[in-house]
Amino acid sequence: MHILQLAIPPDFPLPIPGNLSLLEFLIVLTFILHIVFVNFTLSFATGAVALEGAGIVKKSKRLDDMARICSFHASIHKSIAVVLGVAPLLIVSVIYTQYFYTSTLLIGKAWISIIVLLITAFLLLYVYKFSWEKWENKKGLHFFVGLVASAILLFIPLIFIVNIVSMLYPEKWSSANGFFHSLFYYPQIWQRYAHFVLASLAAGGFYMYFYFAWKQKKQPLSDVEQSLKMGGVKVTFWITLLQLLFGSLLLISFRRDIVLLFMGDDLLLTVLLLVSILLTIVLCGLLYIVTKKDTQNVFYASVICFVLIVALMGWMRHEVRESYLQPYMDEHPRTLDVQKENVQPIK
Amino acid sequence: MDFPIVEFPWFGNGNIVALIAIIHVLISHGVAIGATAIVVSTEYYAMQTKNAKLDQLAKQLTKWIVIITTTVGAMTGVGIWLSTMVIQPDSIGSLLRIFFWAWVTEWVIFIGEVVLLLIYYYTWEKWKKGKEKQKHLNIGITLAVFSWLTMAIITGILAAKLTPGRWVETLSFWNAFFNPTYLPSLAFRTFLAVTLAISLFTIFVRLFVKDKDVRLPLFRIFSIWGAISLPATFIFGIWYLKSIPEQAAKLIVWSTGLPEQTFNVLNLIAFALIVVFLIWLVIRPKKLPAVLALAMFISAIGFIGEFEVVRESIRKPYIIYNYMYVNGITAAKAEAMNRDGYLAHSTIAKVKTITEENKIEAGREIYEGQCLACHTIDGWRSKRALANRLQGWPQKSIEAFIPSMHQVRPMMPPFVGTKEEVEALAAYLYKVVNEQN
Repeated sequence: MHILQLAIPPDFPLPIPGNLSLLEFLIVLTFILHIVFVNFTLSFATGAVALEGAGIVKKSKRLDDMARICSFHASIHKSIAVVLGVAPLLIVSVIYTQYFYTSTLLIGKAWISIIVLLITAFLLLYVYKFSWEKWENKKGLHFFVGLVASAILLFIPLIFIVNIVSMLYPEKWSSANGFFHSLFYYPQIWQRYAHFVLASLAAGGFYMYFYFAWKQKKQPLSDVEQSLKMGGVKVTFWITLLQLLFGSLLLISFRRDIVLLFMGDDLLLTVLLLVSILLTIVLCGLLYIVTKKDTQNVFYASVICFVLIVALMGWMRHEVRESYLQPYMDEHPRTLDVQKENVQPIK
Repeated sequence: MDFPIVEFPWFGNGNIVALIAIIHVLISHGVAIGATAIVVSTEYYAMQTKNAKLDQLAKQLTKWIVIITTTVGAMTGVGIWLSTMVIQPDSIGSLLRIFFWAWVTEWVIFIGEVVLLLIYYYTWEKWKKGKEKQKHLNIGITLAVFSWLTMAIITGILAAKLTPGRWVETLSFWNAFFNPTYLPSLAFRTFLAVTLAISLFTIFVRLFVKDKDVRLPLFRIFSIWGAISLPATFIFGIWYLKSIPEQAAKLIVWSTGLPEQTFNVLNLIAFALIVVFLIWLVIRPKKLPAVLALAMFISAIGFIGEFEVVRESIRKPYIIYNYMYVNGITAAKAEAMNRDGYLAHSTIAKVKTITEENKIEAGREIYEGQCLACHTIDGWRSKRALANRLQGWPQKSIEAFIPSMHQVRPMMPPFVGTKEEVEALAAYLYKVVNEQN
């Protein structure tokens, strides 16, 4: 690799403000929190639209009621998803400045468009939620509003994925030509996207199961709520099974030496991957049991399993980035202590 | 020039951030902070006077606070940051290094603010009576405090850009945060938020709240808050004004782009307008003319636009005062670049050594790195468009002007680089200016 000719800038002379290991721990933790709420938002918004659409076709009030509950949860979780996203973005900016700023600037206009896209999607989600009764006779329009909001929400992750994938490939920067070109230029983008969208559906289904199981302890569920709960479990079960395939597709889209790290070259990564696959199979088993016989113990076990899988995924995601960037970081060190001579006042 | 350049040739790079920032200040100050304080007072007043209809109006207003702040408000807040990453990466990157933990703290409080806001709105009907109503009100009060706290933290960062104070010597976080304009600007913004909320919301109340039983008590709450906030905004505004650097104060009128007399007249009219408006609200709330409320709404937006533009522009030629110029160049970089060349120290520059063949290309790269932060070639703001400013200039004059421009125009940073680079920049500017004209 001709690392020296790459457009990796020198780090700022002001030091990274804190212990690197602590910041790495925080980025994994806060990213997981953020992405889980993004998953919820995305699955409830798309789920609401799908259910409403099915309700219109089948003329089913029941499906419409289920859709409405989904839309309510979507609009609450989207607010949390956005605020939780600030922390990982802060940390990635601070500890990977040389890579992340460059990859952001390479798709600068798409990056800025996130602001307009999200505002539009969020406002539409409110219209969608608050006009459910008012537009009862304008079902087509109402459905369309939800559809547009969901389409925007499905598009935005691509911008983030291009950005964080592009930062891993400094040797490809010089030929990158904006966001749309990058979508098909960098490896692993669509594999990541598929893995993410499926994870969203699974997380959304799991949330429904979790939320209504919790609610059930206080009061009996209505028929519609029961359908959402059990529907959630089924969605999560099937999607999680699929994830075993799509997760593998993502893994093999990594650079060869990184793939091998997960296959014995690095003990930690290999163990992480094996445990996560094992837990995924266990979760599928638990969810299958739930569909047959819903008990408290299985419920708790599945929650623990789910949380562990999400944590492992977040951790591995971080390790992938570290492995990709390691050779560059050796050549282009980060500023850990202040470079006093480079931080002078302008008099 | 260490990061790829993104150019908005017509709109102007600086204007992108300004536009987002203006919208954000309107919402964060006027809605999230000011309107929340008013809504919570309204709930309290409704409790005291047992006015159920007023309570419902407070709930309706809260719904709008939820809708506006969690969409446009939150996203423009994050948006200022997303867009400065693209437009001013050196500046925002450095600020993140200095103020990281302040931002983290602000983030934690911001999560609290959003969660409290959602609880406050969605429990309105659930916690309706007796002790539960008191609990609901307490959540509202905590929410108002949290919204203010997020501003109290961000203000430290914003104020430090204009007056980093002792930080430039000590590099101490606390010196940067508690900088010379921190307290005055925080006090000013606090009361500005309330004044702004009244100015923005009155027109909607006037037009859409028909019931006199709720409109009049609400106007009464507006006028009580206004009687406190307007004089306080004025007094703290003067304190703030007196505490900014002299060089910056001189740029205030210039930065609005208005002739001094027009500037004075406009600001006086706006001030007179708000005084008349408030007095009217106190004396004859029943007969408040919609036109007056509308005028308030428009002038409030105008004032915030002016405030943001001035606040950003008077910092020139710096982006972080006495540390970094508006084009991201620091003292240490300037020294190295004057010695070895601007392009030699620019990571992404394709031209490293200037020849007759690549001169124009080199000039373009220097333009992008050093001028683009404020200028366009032919953008809509003609004062910043070089096709306008340099029209009719011979290439030699441009070349002679560049090295001394910061002395003639103190809002411009000094050119950084070698003599060959000056020539290359002049050649490029001469070419594009004449192509445009």
